[in-house]
Amino acid sequence: MSDKPGPKAPEQDIVLRVNDLHTYFYTDLGISRALNGVSFDIPVGKVMGVVGESGCGKSVTALSIMRLLPKSSKIIKGDITYFRRPQHNGSAGASDQIKQKSENGQQGFWIDENAGKVQEIRLNDLDPMGPEMRHIRGAELAMIFQEPMTSLNPVYTIGDQISETIMLHQRVNKAEGLRRAIDILEKVGMSNPKLIVGNYPHQLSGGMRQRAMIAMGLSCHPAVLFADEPTTALDVTTEAQILDLMRDLQAQFGTTIVFITHNLGVVAQMCDSVSVMYLGRIIEQTSVDEIFYNPKHPYTSALLNSIPHIGSRSKERLQPIRGVVPDPYSKIVGCPFHPRCNAFMPGKCDKAMPAQTVISPGHNVRCFLYSDEVEE
Amino acid sequence: MGSYILRRLGYMAVTLLIVTILGYIIIELPPGSYVESEVERLRAQGGNLTQGQIDALYRRYGLDKPEYVRFWLWISAFVRGDFGQAFAYNLPVSQIIFDRLGLTLAFSLSSLVFSWVVAIAAGVYSATHRYTLPDYVIAVLQFIGLAVPNFLLALVLMVFAQNVFHMQVAGLFSSQYVDAPWSIAKVLDLLNHLWIPIIVIGASNTAWLSRVMRANLLDVLNMQYVQTARAKGLTENVVVWKHAFRNAIHPLIMVLGSSLPGIISGETIVAIVLNLPTTGPIYFNALIQKDMYLAGAFLVFLAIALLIGNLGADILLAWVDPRIRYE
Amino acid sequence: MENAVTSAPQLPSAVDEPVSEVGQLSQWTLIRMRFARNRLAMIGMVGLIFMYALVFLGPFVAPNEYTYQNQDYIFGGPSEFTFTGSDGSFGLFMYGTTSVLDSKAFKFIVTKDENMKLPVQLFVKGDPYTLLGVINTDVHLFGVDAASKQRVYLMGADSLGRDMFARTLIGGQISMTIGLVGVAISIVLGSVLGTTSGYFMGLADDVIQRIIEVISSFPTIPLWAALAAALPPISESFTALDRYFLITVVLSFVGWTGLARQLRAKVTAYRTSDFCQAAVAAGSTDRRIIFTHMLPNAASHIIVSAALSIPGMILGETALSFLGLGILPPMVSWGALLRDSQQVSVIIQYPWLLIPGVAVVIAVMLFSFLGDGLRDAVDPYSI
Repeated sequence: MSDKPGPKAPEQDIVLRVNDLHTYFYTDLGISRALNGVSFDIPVGKVMGVVGESGCGKSVTALSIMRLLPKSSKIIKGDITYFRRPQHNGSAGASDQIKQKSENGQQGFWIDENAGKVQEIRLNDLDPMGPEMRHIRGAELAMIFQEPMTSLNPVYTIGDQISETIMLHQRVNKAEGLRRAIDILEKVGMSNPKLIVGNYPHQLSGGMRQRAMIAMGLSCHPAVLFADEPTTALDVTTEAQILDLMRDLQAQFGTTIVFITHNLGVVAQMCDSVSVMYLGRIIEQTSVDEIFYNPKHPYTSALLNSIPHIGSRSKERLQPIRGVVPDPYSKIVGCPFHPRCNAFMPGKCDKAMPAQTVISPGHNVRCFLYSDEVEE
Repeated sequence: MGSYILRRLGYMAVTLLIVTILGYIIIELPPGSYVESEVERLRAQGGNLTQGQIDALYRRYGLDKPEYVRFWLWISAFVRGDFGQAFAYNLPVSQIIFDRLGLTLAFSLSSLVFSWVVAIAAGVYSATHRYTLPDYVIAVLQFIGLAVPNFLLALVLMVFAQNVFHMQVAGLFSSQYVDAPWSIAKVLDLLNHLWIPIIVIGASNTAWLSRVMRANLLDVLNMQYVQTARAKGLTENVVVWKHAFRNAIHPLIMVLGSSLPGIISGETIVAIVLNLPTTGPIYFNALIQKDMYLAGAFLVFLAIALLIGNLGADILLAWVDPRIRYE
Repeated sequence: MENAVTSAPQLPSAVDEPVSEVGQLSQWTLIRMRFARNRLAMIGMVGLIFMYALVFLGPFVAPNEYTYQNQDYIFGGPSEFTFTGSDGSFGLFMYGTTSVLDSKAFKFIVTKDENMKLPVQLFVKGDPYTLLGVINTDVHLFGVDAASKQRVYLMGADSLGRDMFARTLIGGQISMTIGLVGVAISIVLGSVLGTTSGYFMGLADDVIQRIIEVISSFPTIPLWAALAAALPPISESFTALDRYFLITVVLSFVGWTGLARQLRAKVTAYRTSDFCQAAVAAGSTDRRIIFTHMLPNAASHIIVSAALSIPGMILGETALSFLGLGILPPMVSWGALLRDSQQVSVIIQYPWLLIPGVAVVIAVMLFSFLGDGLRDAVDPYSI
């Protein structure tokens, strides 16, 4: 099906391709360059982790793809391509319903003549609030947020909020929407879903709210689920439960998950592959095993050294990364990590930006230690 | 919900009692009793009162009894619907009050509705179109609306109506219709007279509410759940009106209770300038002439109207916000 | 222990970076900086300083004494000016006027005399007055030669031929201070009762909250009016000045409730906060906690809410005086001056009688700019 030869993975295996994405924020203080050329492919049915310190652009990447960026920001450059598969074609996820829709004459753009084929959609060309993007959002690309306390609208019941998504994308009535909401709540491990649908967010605990958010995200069986630090605000026990749940659901539904976190432990537990971000760029990208046992970029190594290992010799000191993340308003010449890097090579790292180089199959890194290739 | 309303009703009963006490104190405040002024008035009319007649007057109003007994006499009569005598009109207070109070409430409520509709529209528009030209225009109008005393606005609008449209807008009807039987022309004439008071009474409230609305909505639009709603694929209209607005309206309902006093205050004073047959002109006249039974009854009734309005606002708030209902 | 600390290897120090100034400024400096950046707030402050100077120097600034009745200038309009004198010389000249009896309407009409051009001079002698209560003089900032029997009326004259400009300035002395005095009383009442209510809770709190609720269940202006109506008439024992002070008391009777409510909320929040708990644990007395821990923290909020309540008081005084229940003659305030313009027919004929209303609008707006600016400077995240 792929008609684009190249070093990239064949398209039947990827669901989302981001290429050279630049997103800038325009503020009173100046232009903040949040993303400076982010590129990655998300393979189907896998969990991809995005790691990095606060402000490195993890969330902005997800928001750029979802086209949910605030008005003060703009995608300056780059492509976001979504490869729509037949089972996601149309939001219902069930072919009989698609047929039904066409019979009703409610034929929409999402009915492709070449049904059964992978369809390429350039998300960055769509109007963020236009009908196409809205039909994709929530149904095919879903997102759950960091703060379960504030992600749910306090004035509507859980049932209302979940069934709203279902009713919107699957064109069912309120009763059916609620029935499906109860179904999905049961799947996310809510003990009494019939009662929960009538509850308001303030009546639920943080963990339960995050389960409700996950239920909402999965309610339309999306192709990709972006989880933006979904467990950061939770206590450790609840966090473990939620991670287990997400792992189970991922296996059950086969949903592709983009897992955004600053927690490497969570990455080890959850992800198949990892992208490490620093100052709006991906600096290393590989499988989860490679990241932990064979990190290449000095920043990745430094990150790994700054977390405690169980079983490591207790006398070993944790190594903080020296310095702080430079503010994104300044434009750094060369590799953005060079002021903090232990392997800094004067005259090289502060002169040009290293290119993203494949150093072994499925492992690429941006660092002059491994290649002299310079980004044009 | 039921127990919540009951609890509110209980609070209201206590407040009502204190309100009547305060109302009574106000009646008693002015130096010199009203019997003295009544005697003055009768003498001025040429009546020659004997000491016996004066004593009878004192007894009739219970002025020979201690303060608390007199309060009891007044309040028990008040509950029965006997609010005392309006001296200047030589009529029972109840007769003067009711038709005027009704009109005062009608004007206040219409202004309230007007100011809510305009304030919500302006507030939502300027919040969703922040830093655009209309947003700045609305901001300027808000400052003016808050700074112009309403009676001055009434005067200016009247001059404007007279000079530009050659309309006499004072009162409820133009002179030729006052005693005319009801007709389409008379209704149109009435409508012509209604818009100025409604705008004038509602102006400062509108300005204030729309500022509150704008600020609240801006706050709410930054909330995570608004982002969640967008992430569901809802249209921006549904996001704003269903998800954000419902939360932003909540502080607005909270201030509904406190915006009522302003509206009723405004109504009473604007009525004087616009010559409306509502409570205002009678009330302030009664104060100047120390016709305190009339003034006190008006004041207590206005307070009762406000208390009922506040109760309504509380119930509305509980209905809109589940967190209060389950408190 | 100490040894362990010193012998620990030095952690790689943070990259040298300029230490930002912002982190080291005091709260008040930050507030001042934010305030100074707010253009509207600065307009409010500068405008108010200008207005206060104008009204307190009013007798000097205005060419006429505010009670002087000019029988030849009854309902006379604003004076008209020209830049060329009768002899063709350049300068500022005022047209003279004559008062003619209109035999039909049977009233005097003030008409412009095209031929009489009087040079406007600085520092001319005119009506005697006392400036700021101490300086006795008869020099006015500007005017025309007294020998000409003509006077400058920048904003026309009222029904008795008194200078509206002078009256508006003098009225401003009352209107622009009544709010300040009222707010000062409100601050004292509101701080004491609000702090008591929030700090000691219990019965005191219940009683104070109930009182606040009752007062706020009355419509403001009718309540003010009822209280003002209870003031005794002006006599030898009850001067106009006494009335002025009691009117401010009446205004603050309602004004304190808002401040008390806000302060109660603040104090209740502080009670459970760590710094107050620490003070309690350290054995501080209630007095010490209130005065050294709570009030300094709440000070900025007190100032803001005071500034925001001044416009309401100015408008309240204007309304009361307009109704004849506030400031009474011989004292003048903007509301009292507007009492002359209750009739539309009068305004259409003599529109300059509304000028005190313009002064009210300007003063209230400047105060709101100032109040909003203070609020934003103190708490940039509030509504």
